[in-house]
Amino acid sequence: MTVQHPAPVPGDLAVAPELPDVLKARKPLTGFTGFLRKNPSIAIGGVLLLIMFFIALFAPWLGTVDPTAISTARRTRVPSELYWFGTDMLGRDIYSRVMYGARVSLLVGFSVAILASIAGLVIGLFSGFVRWSDGIIMRVIDGMMSIPPILLAIALMALTRGSVQNVIIAITIAEIPRVARLVRGVVLSLREQPYVDAAIAAGTRTPMIVFRHILPNTLAPMSVQATYICASAMIVEAILSFIGAGVPPATPSWGNIMAEGRALWQVKPHIILFPAIFLSLTVLAVNMLGDGLRDALDPRMAKRL
Amino acid sequence: MLAFIVRRIITTIPVMAFVALFVFSLLYIAPGDPAAIIAGDQASPADVERIRASLGLDRPYLVRFGEWFFRVLQGDLGTSIFTSLPVTQLIAQRIEPTLSLMVLTLILAVSVAVPLGVVAAWKAGTWIDRAVVAFAVFGFSVPVFVVGYLLAYVFALKLDWVPVQGYTPISQGLWPWFQNLILPAVTLGLVYVALIARITRATMLDVLQQDYIRTARSKGVAQNSILFLHALKNAAVPIITIIGIGVALLIGGAVVTESVFAIPGLGRLTLDAILRRDYPVIQGVVLIFSFVYVLVNLAIDLIYTLVDPRIRY
Repeated sequence: MTVQHPAPVPGDLAVAPELPDVLKARKPLTGFTGFLRKNPSIAIGGVLLLIMFFIALFAPWLGTVDPTAISTARRTRVPSELYWFGTDMLGRDIYSRVMYGARVSLLVGFSVAILASIAGLVIGLFSGFVRWSDGIIMRVIDGMMSIPPILLAIALMALTRGSVQNVIIAITIAEIPRVARLVRGVVLSLREQPYVDAAIAAGTRTPMIVFRHILPNTLAPMSVQATYICASAMIVEAILSFIGAGVPPATPSWGNIMAEGRALWQVKPHIILFPAIFLSLTVLAVNMLGDGLRDALDPRMAKRL
Repeated sequence: MLAFIVRRIITTIPVMAFVALFVFSLLYIAPGDPAAIIAGDQASPADVERIRASLGLDRPYLVRFGEWFFRVLQGDLGTSIFTSLPVTQLIAQRIEPTLSLMVLTLILAVSVAVPLGVVAAWKAGTWIDRAVVAFAVFGFSVPVFVVGYLLAYVFALKLDWVPVQGYTPISQGLWPWFQNLILPAVTLGLVYVALIARITRATMLDVLQQDYIRTARSKGVAQNSILFLHALKNAAVPIITIIGIGVALLIGGAVVTESVFAIPGLGRLTLDAILRRDYPVIQGVVLIFSFVYVLVNLAIDLIYTLVDPRIRY
């Protein structure tokens, strides 16, 4: 049986006319799915990033072979059914190397984001709250920021052996000043807020003010900054590995695979192509997540940047 | 005004001093003993000690820093371990390609990015705006060497419009120089364009909502004149600031771009120095680049007063 439209009431003109379907009642977007629909860039970035995490975690079970296995008989093969992404100069399977390479990029990106955020937070809070230290800390930060970050990371890597751990430390040091300066700025503006004055007047101890009233307010801008640091750290890692100052050549990382393809890029561009696509997609995912997070956390800025 | 310029220059002194201290410490804590390297494999420990003393490497940290700094002020950046040439000479040989690349990129990027940002703000909410915003996100996400290889593959290898790699000095003609440099400049400029366009759009959106823009509109000022005379002039300070800050991106990107396009510049020098662990050269390059960066941002602070008469120091 079909749904019957209400019959017109004869004679009674007071009945409201049926509204046309043009203006459908809009369901308010609530809950987690609503949040994602309101912020499509978080949804898209999040899904892409989850895929990359999946690849990194389950690399051994994704039809890969040993990413470091050398075979001189099958060097520089183009992509085929057997070698999906082809093989490199030493006959290693590029598909396997790219899948395993996700591990290095994500590890470096997220480690740097977390470490730089924590260190920058501590330095920024200290600088913003301990007045006498502010001048000194800010001069040091000015000095560090006047060395371009990639150059700083390169210089630090020149001092040590190439390893994932050292790459993380070098990039973290290069990124800390930005977070510290951001946190200090937020702290300085929050200090002038009436509620902080009120807390001071009420006799709240300084550590309590910092943890209760200041820290929570720095978390929103910091988490946005952390995603951008994560994206930039992945790019810097790839650059360091690409120029031979990053993770050791044996480790499959996207930068390393591209470094190995460098000599042959004119004849065998596929060696560079596949890691390049994966690196760009991952960085894009993190950037979209950051943009979405910024818009969601600060709706006033949403329409502007 | 003069007092401001002097004061602003004085504030760069502690910054430069910190950079110098950092760069010096780099060599100081670098692994490998320069005295042992110079002495060679056959030298006895006594020989190494003698060379160490003759080089003054046995003296305290701060004394050595003071001496090194004094020499840097006189334009002496030390000697390369690998080539035994003065670092200043090595840098002087390599500076032209890098400077050419950075200046060309700067000019190209600014002349593309600012109009792009202005149009995006003017057409806010339309597909043009969305395209510019999407381009900016894309520009931030694709690493510079990926862009480089992509452009080189399409425009140099497949279409054969420009030479694939290399560098032609400007003294051999402007056109060959430009032909060789155009792809690297576009490569290096992409992320810079994304950055500047994004900030230009954001600032212009703000300015276009001001009352005086509405006044200008209502009295019938032409659209172009509103955008570029009334609005852009008032949005100039943040845009110029980001152009200055973005020079850090250019410096970092130049190292990579030069290695993709085989340009014999400072970036190439840095890479070779890293692979050979030639610390005096690394030191010299980091010092020079940082010095340029600080000077650019100093110049930008001074430009503020020119573009915005409201800023009086």
